[in-house]
Amino acid sequence: MNVIGWALAGACVAAGSGVLAAVVLPRRARPAAVGAATAAIGLSGLVAGIAALSGQVFQARLPGLLPLAGVEIALDPLGGWFVAVTGGVLVAAALYGIGYAGGGHGQSGRPVQAALPVFAVSMLLVPAAASVSTLLVLWELMAVSSLLLILAEHRARPAVADAGRWYAALTQVGFAAILLGLVVYAARAGGESFADLRAAHLSPAVRGAVFVLVLAGFGSKAGLVPLHVWLPRAHAEAPSPVSAMLSAAMVNLGVYGVIRVGFDLFGGGSRWWWLLVLTVGAVSALYGILQAAVAADLKRLLAYSTVENMGLVFLGVGAAGIFNASGAPTLAALALAAALLHVLNHAGFKALLFTAAGSVVRATGTRDLDALGGLRSRMPVTTILFAVGALGAAALPLGNGFVSEWLLLQSLVHTLPAGGVVIAVAMPLAVAVVALTAGLAVAAFVKALGVGFFARPRSDATEAARESPPAMLVAMGVLAAACVGLALAPAALAPVLSRAVGAATHTPATVVDGGVSLRLAGIASTMSPLVIAVAVVVAVGGCALLVRLVAGRVTRRRAVALWDCGVGPPTARMQYTATSFAEPLQRVFDDVLAPETDVDITPHAESAYLVARVAYQARVPDRVEHALYAPVITAARRLGRLGPVLANGSVHRYLAYGFFGMCALLLVLAVTR
Amino acid sequence: MNASALVAAAVQVGVVAVGAPLLVGLMRQVRSRLEGRAGAGVTQPWRDLRKLLRRQPATPTGAGWAFRLAPLLLIGTSLVLAAVTPLLTTASPLDPAADLFAVVGLLALGTVILALAALDTGTAFGGMGASREITILALVEPTILVAVFALSARVGSTNLAAIVTATLHDPLRVASPASLLAAAALAIVVVAETGRLPVDNPATHLELTMIHEAMVLEYAGTDLALVEWASAMRLTVLLGLLASLFLPWGIAGASLAGLPVALAVFGAKVAVLAAGLGAAEVFIAKLRLFRVPELLAGSFVLALLAVASSFFLA
Amino acid sequence: MTDLSYALFLDLAAGLFLLAAIGVLWRHQLASMIRLFALQGAALAAIVAILGIHEHSLELILVAVGLGALRAAVLPYLAWRALGDSPAEARETRPVVNVAASLLAAAALTLLAYAVTRPLVAMLGTSPASTILPAALAVALIGFFTLVTRRRALSQVVGFLLLDNGITATAFLAAAGVPLIVELGVSFDLLLIVLVLQVLTTRLRTTFGSSDLDELRELHD
Repeated sequence: MNVIGWALAGACVAAGSGVLAAVVLPRRARPAAVGAATAAIGLSGLVAGIAALSGQVFQARLPGLLPLAGVEIALDPLGGWFVAVTGGVLVAAALYGIGYAGGGHGQSGRPVQAALPVFAVSMLLVPAAASVSTLLVLWELMAVSSLLLILAEHRARPAVADAGRWYAALTQVGFAAILLGLVVYAARAGGESFADLRAAHLSPAVRGAVFVLVLAGFGSKAGLVPLHVWLPRAHAEAPSPVSAMLSAAMVNLGVYGVIRVGFDLFGGGSRWWWLLVLTVGAVSALYGILQAAVAADLKRLLAYSTVENMGLVFLGVGAAGIFNASGAPTLAALALAAALLHVLNHAGFKALLFTAAGSVVRATGTRDLDALGGLRSRMPVTTILFAVGALGAAALPLGNGFVSEWLLLQSLVHTLPAGGVVIAVAMPLAVAVVALTAGLAVAAFVKALGVGFFARPRSDATEAARESPPAMLVAMGVLAAACVGLALAPAALAPVLSRAVGAATHTPATVVDGGVSLRLAGIASTMSPLVIAVAVVVAVGGCALLVRLVAGRVTRRRAVALWDCGVGPPTARMQYTATSFAEPLQRVFDDVLAPETDVDITPHAESAYLVARVAYQARVPDRVEHALYAPVITAARRLGRLGPVLANGSVHRYLAYGFFGMCALLLVLAVTR
Repeated sequence: MNASALVAAAVQVGVVAVGAPLLVGLMRQVRSRLEGRAGAGVTQPWRDLRKLLRRQPATPTGAGWAFRLAPLLLIGTSLVLAAVTPLLTTASPLDPAADLFAVVGLLALGTVILALAALDTGTAFGGMGASREITILALVEPTILVAVFALSARVGSTNLAAIVTATLHDPLRVASPASLLAAAALAIVVVAETGRLPVDNPATHLELTMIHEAMVLEYAGTDLALVEWASAMRLTVLLGLLASLFLPWGIAGASLAGLPVALAVFGAKVAVLAAGLGAAEVFIAKLRLFRVPELLAGSFVLALLAVASSFFLA
Repeated sequence: MTDLSYALFLDLAAGLFLLAAIGVLWRHQLASMIRLFALQGAALAAIVAILGIHEHSLELILVAVGLGALRAAVLPYLAWRALGDSPAEARETRPVVNVAASLLAAAALTLLAYAVTRPLVAMLGTSPASTILPAALAVALIGFFTLVTRRRALSQVVGFLLLDNGITATAFLAAAGVPLIVELGVSFDLLLIVLVLQVLTTRLRTTFGSSDLDELRELHD
């Protein structure tokens, strides 16, 4: 047993002790102990992942652990990448959770606390599963424990229960799809370990069907449109440390599943699969960021931004598959590397953003951007940390999201016309989608930072906000440092990234390398975030110095009143809100978003002509949900109404069902045999 | 990286910094002459800057560090842009550090900084300007990147020096439909990004129509000087970039010998472009804000056609 | 004319041909739509003329002159006459699909035309004339799109004429020209159609006070 084995075993032990602590310890000590255990799980995941990425291989078979099939565990660099990302997120989110639970926030009930280590360890082990049954068991364990965590605050808000229902329904549908796909695959392959699946030869039709099923299943976990509807609810309603884990770690496993099945097990597959992945990814990216850009709820905005980023990752994976199927392995490796790097970058900034949003919610009691504002003087550290995350999420230079989007764009832009019609049409459109997504992401995060944290408070609760305790700030600081590191020195990850890509495509090669600046295989473009950052810092410093020299005696600032057009000081209510900030975009994308407005005029009781009150309400509903799920729900409800008719309480009737059923069966047997 | 390249890059930054206000002055002068006014002269923006630099900056109540830092960050990113783009020389030591995507990103970063500063003041004007500016930024992005696609696909690199050098080696490329369409698309982008007519009127202070001016309404003194200067530099760099991508002749390589010629040619190209822009502004009216997406959709179609034609005709 | 400059001029003319069609979608003013249509007629004539000069065919050059006269002068003039002088009528105020979306649709149609003509181009060999075939087909598609999404009778006429320009260009590029007699017949038909539509537009306006074709629905009731 090597380092990986010990680390994974350590994670299991830590999970066990965490569950034990949750059950045994008194309520007050519970969050700290469980948090420490979860952090330990994350730490062992980090160790295991880094060991796997550095080239160690681990394989184990534990036949007694699961009846019939047994458990098979293996960790290659591809799995290691995801285990390491998950581990890192878990460490930070668990530390943050310890601080978050102090002061009566968060839920310290037994079931919720016991679910946390279970969720953490199952999430960590999913990429290490090496057989269908192991994967499915861990996947279901992760789904159920995450459901418990999402429901943690169900007593406080009715919306939580709703979110839980959506999540439960969609995650089970997704699980059923994965189950069906993988079981068919395993049945045809004649074995259920991944090695058997790799060696299997299936007909193209079966392969295609299996891939589509698996894509639907994993896509529902990653929040791809149209299976995303649970995500903005669940990620917004869960306690913030859990939101961070869901949004930064759990959704990644959807990507992992598709890469594992499509690239590793099926070894590439046909082009139409990946065109489907690319299209779904592009639609998710655009739809997600459009919803984020018009959202006025901070955590909902972040959740939709997760849909967007997962869309971009799937766009990269799809492009990689298309290149692979069109005989351009270098570009395929580059696109896959971009997707994997974006998974990591997204995990970094999204965990940071969700934890920072959690601090805001904890300090102000609201997630509504229209009621926030002025936090930069009340929560200065949180504001700066949120700004670091927002810079990454907006994919601007000096942020970490920029690096992976740059890689993605490089792989898309350098396609050659020789690749055929599909590539020639799909890639320019993909570039346009990535670009529009990046532009709208800027809008969404300028809104989140500028309206949520800058300017003046828009409500009393915000006025009274206080900075978070040090434990939370430290956890966020770790995440922010990781984001800055990823933004400035992405080349440091080049060797492990190449190894992870090599494990997926079975062709080890150097995809990205370079020291200070990034260099790509087969493309002459270079970029160095570090040099750009240094240049900006030098230029800013130089200008500051110059200004001091030229205008030395007048640099003392004068405090003045805001320009108010002469009508008296503008109040905080006169500020632009998140809704008004997003209004032009909402108008431009009117046809896509289909916003709803209600004007409610209440006349005076005495006269219908005198208006007492005008209520105006505007909301942007999730259009996919309305168009796609509302009919399904109505149909299900109609079906449900059949229940009382069939089961009216009469015992004789129930017995008669059984009797007639049995007779019918016997009749069928008698006729057919 | 050698000494002469370093000198050339430094000269380039200096030229942009000194020349940018003159360029703005030239545009205003062209405009006023065409409108039958005498005009204030080409050096007026410099006189304004000198005056403003000596005035005390003001911080309105309620504004915070974002408001105070923004002018410095804005001018910092503008200077880096001036150093990166091949305006006078293709041998800038910063060229390998920032390709065309990074240049686009840095431009967006400058806009974002200013928008955040505007939101930080907490006035309705600031929010309005920021909201509109960011909307336009978001809609411009696809055009730029698709145009970059058209320009860089055949070169095999998005680094600016590589694109410019490739055009120098193959002059007929400029007259190809792909290049012409991309040029047209990017010209619209430049107009939108720098807030010129018909997207934004740089001379207006009418509440309902202003975009850029609404964001800088609260700035005064040194701060305002820096913001104005940075805006002028961004305009210069963008016009210069347009000239370098589509009319790259005259740009010097690594040696210093070509620098004087490059300087003269650069000045001429940018002056002609600026004068053309200034003259065009006399004849067009500002578009309504919600007609701007139509213009940008048009530019996007041009960019996409540029890519398509580089594939059709390959 | 060298091969290189032949290809270049042909590409530029085709680019202009396509851009004029996109411009028709871009503009609201009916007058500028007609101007763009005239420009497109000139571009079409230029394409045919370039082909003629390259192939040293006097017949093609004559056809180009005829095409230019008809499509860059006569038809725009007739459309101009139908324009009328009421300012409310001079604009395509509320197209079925808004302008930004129309432009994006035009981009999509162009890519579609490119994808569809790919095998045809491969069959014809990569001569400069066949590589611009997608542009011609794209114009036809955009013309059809204009016909579907614009409300004014006159903009529909322009859309129809775009469609025909596209088909004509496709014919010249793919088959190196159609017999002169067919071309003459088609041109005569066109002239007739435009005249009929001009009369229809005028009647429509006098009857309904507007040339919005949706008004015709009233005849159904």
